[in-house]
Amino acid sequence: MGLRFRRAWRMARPPLDRTARIVSVQLALATAILTGIFAGAPRAQHMDMGSAGGLPAKIGYCKDCHGPAAQGYGGFFPIPRLAGQQTEYLENQLRAFIEHRRTNNVMFNVAHTLSPATIAALAAHFRSLNPSPIGGAPKQLVSLGRKIFEDGVPDANVAACAACHGPDASGSGQIPRLAGQLYPYVIKELVNWGKERGQNPAKPDTSAIMSPVAHSLSKTQIDAVAAFVSYLK
Amino acid sequence: MDRNMRFADALSPNGQRERRPMQVAQLKLAGPTVLLAVVLATAAGAEDKSPVAKQDVQAKLAYCEVCHGVSAQGFHGYYPIPRLAGQQTEYLENQLQAFVEHRRTNNIMFNVGHVLSPAMIAALAADFHDLNPKPLGGAPAELVGAGKKIFEQGISSTDVPACSSCHGPEAKGDGAFPRLAGQLFDYVVSKLQNWDKERGQNPAQPDASALMQPIAHNLTAAQIKAVAAYLSQLE
Repeated sequence: MGLRFRRAWRMARPPLDRTARIVSVQLALATAILTGIFAGAPRAQHMDMGSAGGLPAKIGYCKDCHGPAAQGYGGFFPIPRLAGQQTEYLENQLRAFIEHRRTNNVMFNVAHTLSPATIAALAAHFRSLNPSPIGGAPKQLVSLGRKIFEDGVPDANVAACAACHGPDASGSGQIPRLAGQLYPYVIKELVNWGKERGQNPAKPDTSAIMSPVAHSLSKTQIDAVAAFVSYLK
Repeated sequence: MDRNMRFADALSPNGQRERRPMQVAQLKLAGPTVLLAVVLATAAGAEDKSPVAKQDVQAKLAYCEVCHGVSAQGFHGYYPIPRLAGQQTEYLENQLQAFVEHRRTNNIMFNVGHVLSPAMIAALAADFHDLNPKPLGGAPAELVGAGKKIFEQGISSTDVPACSSCHGPEAKGDGAFPRLAGQLFDYVVSKLQNWDKERGQNPAQPDASALMQPIAHNLTAAQIKAVAAYLSQLE
């Protein structure tokens, strides 16, 4: 049907003179260029995924701060290990940074330029990495940390971490891996939980689950459990 | 007035608070009596019948919900952690006792259970019973029809009685028989498949869990999944 219509249309139109043909070519060219520019915007996100330099460059950029194998880095702030992290958790955190439910200016700037496809690709990549933990936590805290991790502190209403994070702290789905996480980072997160996470009261999120736990742990218990998980592979 | 007199707070016969002079002799006995009472109470331990403060119950409830989910609807932690909302109080109390006595083996629940006083256990069970959130859901919907049939009719060829005969037509349970309505799909599957590995673990103290053993054993894996799917979406 389309072909017959086009033939009929061509036959009905008068033939273009030279001027008209030049103008129409110029218009076509301009349209093509403009289309290229505007269509390039969404296409750039796909290029971010598929073209040379796209995803590998983005991964390298993350590793500038998070360490060459994403094992974490003790910078001015402790920068967390991403290696081996649960993909669902990683993606949730990037979304939380973007939506200011989790407040961190550096990570907001990092995250809000990432397309959903890039986020998924990054998460899959980090999940596959498996460097040794950085270590360095005080070894004498580890056995108390293990006890808290495995048994909880029932008479202080502290739930056993293992129930959700797994006996090897590998996490599950939206629940993060803690194994090999930086000692000062875990401490910082637990001490500051209510100041950094769940910051949009209009949009409560799953970070609320950890609030009573973080709140009930004493500083000594936080240090101990952080030391314990930091050595886990 | 004798300066050696002490006064005690007391109630007069008509209920008014008043201060009455204590005899010095009574006072001298008071100390050792109190001490003895404390020693005996401590030794009795599990027989402690003292009531439990409301804010302690609330704090303990919030602690349970960290793992058992908002309104105790259940939660997918590393393991599937069961729904407690709407549970039969007798069943809940029995399970906590089973954990403490190692008849039901679960390290985390042993630790949770053995610090709870009887009054606290009763208060928690009552509070959980009153909760009524929607089921967590998520089971494969195509299994529900087959599951309903098993639940209501059993499987006579393999001597599996209808679940409804003990758990009730709506799976709300009855006394020692647990509510199953709204229980997590993967929790029910895991429990039925591992029944005799986790329950009735003290041969010297056989318990009611023995009832379910032949049933769990005779159900096939597919039947377990079907009935679990059906139960998980019941309100």
